[in-house]
Amino acid sequence: RQVTCPLSAPGVILGLLFLSMTATSKCLGKYHELLLQLRRQADLMQDTSTLLDPYIHIQGLDTPGLKEHCRECSGAFPSEDALRGLSRQGFLQTLNATLGLVLHRLTALYQDLPEAQQLVGLNIRGFRSNIHCMSQLLRSSSEAETPEPTQPGPGPTPPPTPPSDAFQHKLKSCRFLHGYHRFMHSVGQVLQEWGESRSRSRSRSRRHSPCRAPGDTALARPCRGGARKMWPFRRDRRLMPRGQLPR
Amino acid sequence: MSQEDPAGENYSTTVKRNQVLHWSWESELPLECAAHFIRMRSMVDDARIPKPGFWSNWSSWEEADAQNMLGHDPLFVFPKDKLVEEGSNVTICYVSRIHQDNISCYLEGVQIYGEQLDRSVSAFELKNVSFIREKGTNVFCKVDQGGVLGGIVLFVSKVLEEPKDFSCETQDLKTLTCTWDPGSDTGLTKQPSQSYTLFESFSGKKTLCKHRNWCDWQVAQDSQETYNFTLLAENYLRKRSVSILFNLTQRVHPMTPYNLLPKNVGATKATMTWKVHSIGNNSTLLCQLELLAEGKVIQQSNVSIKVNGEYLLSELEPDTEYVARVRCAYTNHFWKWSELISQKFNTAEAAPSEAPDVWRNLKMVSGHPTVSLFWKPLSKVHANGKILFYNVIVENLDKPSRFEVLSIPAPASSTELTLDQCSYQIHVTAHNSVGPSPASVIVVSGDPENEEVEKGRVNGTEDGFSVSWKPQSGDATGYVVEWCDGPQDLPCVLQWKNLGPNTTSTVISSGDFRPGVRYNFRIYGISTKRMAHLLEKKAGYLEELAPSDNPQVVMSKLTSHSFTLSWKDYSTESQPGFIQGYHVYLKPKAGEQCHPAFEKTVLPEDSVCCKYTIDNPEQKTFVVENLQPESVYEFIVTPYTSVGEGPLDAFTKVTTPDEYSHTLIHIILPMIFCILIVMIICYLKSQWLKEKCYPDSPNPYKSSVLSLIKSKENPHLTIMYVNDCVPDAIEVINKPEGSKIQFLGTRKSPTETEFTKPACLYLLPTEKNYSGPGPCICFENFTYNQAASDFASCGHFPVTPQAPPHQLGPLTSPENLLKALEQNYMNSLGEIPAGEANLNYVSQLASPTSGDKDSLPTNPPEPALCSEYKMQTAIPLGLASAPPSENSSLSSTTLLGQGEHCR
Repeated sequence: RQVTCPLSAPGVILGLLFLSMTATSKCLGKYHELLLQLRRQADLMQDTSTLLDPYIHIQGLDTPGLKEHCRECSGAFPSEDALRGLSRQGFLQTLNATLGLVLHRLTALYQDLPEAQQLVGLNIRGFRSNIHCMSQLLRSSSEAETPEPTQPGPGPTPPPTPPSDAFQHKLKSCRFLHGYHRFMHSVGQVLQEWGESRSRSRSRSRRHSPCRAPGDTALARPCRGGARKMWPFRRDRRLMPRGQLPR
Repeated sequence: MSQEDPAGENYSTTVKRNQVLHWSWESELPLECAAHFIRMRSMVDDARIPKPGFWSNWSSWEEADAQNMLGHDPLFVFPKDKLVEEGSNVTICYVSRIHQDNISCYLEGVQIYGEQLDRSVSAFELKNVSFIREKGTNVFCKVDQGGVLGGIVLFVSKVLEEPKDFSCETQDLKTLTCTWDPGSDTGLTKQPSQSYTLFESFSGKKTLCKHRNWCDWQVAQDSQETYNFTLLAENYLRKRSVSILFNLTQRVHPMTPYNLLPKNVGATKATMTWKVHSIGNNSTLLCQLELLAEGKVIQQSNVSIKVNGEYLLSELEPDTEYVARVRCAYTNHFWKWSELISQKFNTAEAAPSEAPDVWRNLKMVSGHPTVSLFWKPLSKVHANGKILFYNVIVENLDKPSRFEVLSIPAPASSTELTLDQCSYQIHVTAHNSVGPSPASVIVVSGDPENEEVEKGRVNGTEDGFSVSWKPQSGDATGYVVEWCDGPQDLPCVLQWKNLGPNTTSTVISSGDFRPGVRYNFRIYGISTKRMAHLLEKKAGYLEELAPSDNPQVVMSKLTSHSFTLSWKDYSTESQPGFIQGYHVYLKPKAGEQCHPAFEKTVLPEDSVCCKYTIDNPEQKTFVVENLQPESVYEFIVTPYTSVGEGPLDAFTKVTTPDEYSHTLIHIILPMIFCILIVMIICYLKSQWLKEKCYPDSPNPYKSSVLSLIKSKENPHLTIMYVNDCVPDAIEVINKPEGSKIQFLGTRKSPTETEFTKPACLYLLPTEKNYSGPGPCICFENFTYNQAASDFASCGHFPVTPQAPPHQLGPLTSPENLLKALEQNYMNSLGEIPAGEANLNYVSQLASPTSGDKDSLPTNPPEPALCSEYKMQTAIPLGLASAPPSENSSLSSTTLLGQGEHCR
């Protein structure tokens, strides 16, 4: 039996369409203010008390023997290194696509987290709006002339997944939320570096282009069951978002 | 079930020819846990064939092995997502592909233990499972090392309850509303909440209810009167139903009336109007109107109406807030009252209905009779509105034409009037916005009140003070009992109680009465002329208490055998009970018996004491007698009431004097007085005495010897000049008087005097090379050297320091000498500060200025005007004869220096 990781090809496609999306709200014209907004939102969204912690509690996963299995599925979200290796436009596109998938997945979790889901959904929408503005801002600058890095392809369509039972569903959702918070922590770290050195980040983005990490396996022990690798970035190190993720 | 341990279940059914049989069966043990087998046999079931029939042979076993369909995961747990009811027993199992023994299973984190079915399968029976959460109960198994995990969620549903209190009613005969109590919600992730369906059997209609506890049903237009409803509750596991049968017209619950309003509200009447929703055509409603005052229903009326209701409320109190409320019911068949509708309203004011209760207090202020008028606020019932002011009309009865009107704004309840000696009639009325109350009339006279009336006591009870009095002789229109609510030491809050003419007793009660406080009551009789006369005075305690303090006792007249105690300042009026007397406790000295008048008693601390009882509360002195002299006694005086005595805590000690001390005092005191007089006189005469008895310093010029000399006119006696003395050695030589005179008269040079060796007292030669005899001193003052006094013939007298050399000659005569002596001495005194003059003494040690020793004979030294007499002790001769040294010279210089300091 094969189980797919939360994010799949449709999300990437949505991400590619992102730049053509028309912004309905007026964008901030100042780079640093926009960057500060994004960092603050990333900080807010990496907080596990908004999603993961209540989910674990509601589902009864906060018992010894289960909680340690609520770990991010390897490869489910881009690693921090992979994010750092992207160009700024590529980073924003990836971020937008990923958050679109998160939003979609959260809708499925609505029954489990009716209150949190609504609030987090609003946060994600706001964050994506700011991503759009930042993308426009970068595109209007000279940096926009930099060739876009190649986005990872959607990959082969996975075979139909047998319906998972409730237990698997609980664990998968828990891992997904864990990964989401970790991913937002990584996003915050990268955005932090943007503020520190804009030029250095730009030069690095020219040097590196995203590539598939050979030998990367998504089938870490907690993700058994055929979790399909989706994000071709090596996760050389697992970053814990300032002690906010479950132990 | 395994083949080794078969457990079977039989199922029988009837099939017809060519019928396909479907048998759905759920194994207690999940199919994935073990292979299941089935076989069947048949028997003809036909009435034409006599029974019993014959069974066919069993078919061969058909195997259903779900394990073969499992994937390749290392660990499976079954059954997945099973839904059961609370209290069920559930069997679960795990199937392991890794063939390890160290697999543990947990129910909500708590390990569970089961039975191993085969090498890779173990089963666990969960008995009486309970509901934990809507998201299901987590059951999981894991390999102890390695992190392999498998699990299931067991959805335990609460048991579906039968709906309670199911009923239907209509408000308008058009719509039926059915309600019920649904009980617990059985909703889970796996199962939605239970649903409710309303089914009506007569019409055959049913509706799926949208709410958990109520459902609307549209009444059919075909005038169906009887309804038989069944409410069906169901979830995935169970169905429950409840039914009711009723007639529609008997389930009418009218809607709440509306527009309830007061109309034409007066002081005692008001009309209430309201409306109701019509029910059908020409339906009549019975409405109930209730009137509430202060939360209590005071009137209730029933009114039958169709649409509009109206009712006149009467017998209302003026200026009172009322609440009117209305509810209605269907008249044809009473089912339920509608909800209430309420409306507040206030009746109008009316003039106060009763005269204020007035009392007075007469007193003299600055020689003028002054009456304080008090009145009690009218009760709400009698005020009939807000009292705005009080009118006080003072009518002089002696001069009927004179009135005085005072208007006192509310809420004042007293006023003060200064009157003269006339009689006055005072009218007091209370006014609200409508008008005045009846007047309260009282007559007062400027004459002082007769305070000489009978006094008595009154006993307090739980209910208050029961006060009684003798009926007033003659006509009395009533009585008034007057008292103060507070203790005596607080300002009086005057209280009074009016009583009828035939009353001679009453109970005065007040929440302000306290135990241990004396209350004084004054009983007045009211004459037909409405004048009050004091009849009696009463005093009493609600509850008497023991005194809390003892009097301040003053002890006096202490003798060796008695002393007097007095406590004149002790007030018996302000005590927490009637003082009946005093106890005088006396602690005798050890072994001493109590005086016969005393009673021996044991104090709480077990000490023995003598007690004397004074049973007259006004006796506030006591003489303690028959005491032993020089003994220590302790006493205490404590008052007592009917409840007890004061505290025995602070005894006062007293020591009786000895028997003779009294006599001695009579002797010693005058003696001390006399001595003091003498001392004062002596002090006043001290200067005189000092001069006479002990002058400050033995001044040779003031010595009495000089007067003696003068009187004797002895020409041979003269005074030695201190400057001429060398105070290093003393040598006493007995010299014939003639040579002494010669020496004095032939003084030429120091060298000459050395050889002549006159009978002089030599004082410590200071110069090494000083060979002359040096000046010598003659001790005329006997207080300094008794030995020297023997040398009355001493021939050397010091030369006056300031005398110039050319004056030396004339000094040889005694007269000149004395003159010069006195003159120089007086001169020297004149140069000395007055304060030092008495202390100064012409030094007998002063020597000529050091370093100028050679000029000594020819140049007389500067006078040491104020040389101290440093060496008043006689120096041994041996020392005196010691050769002069530099040290001694230095010593002499030092002495001179001291003398210079005093200048």
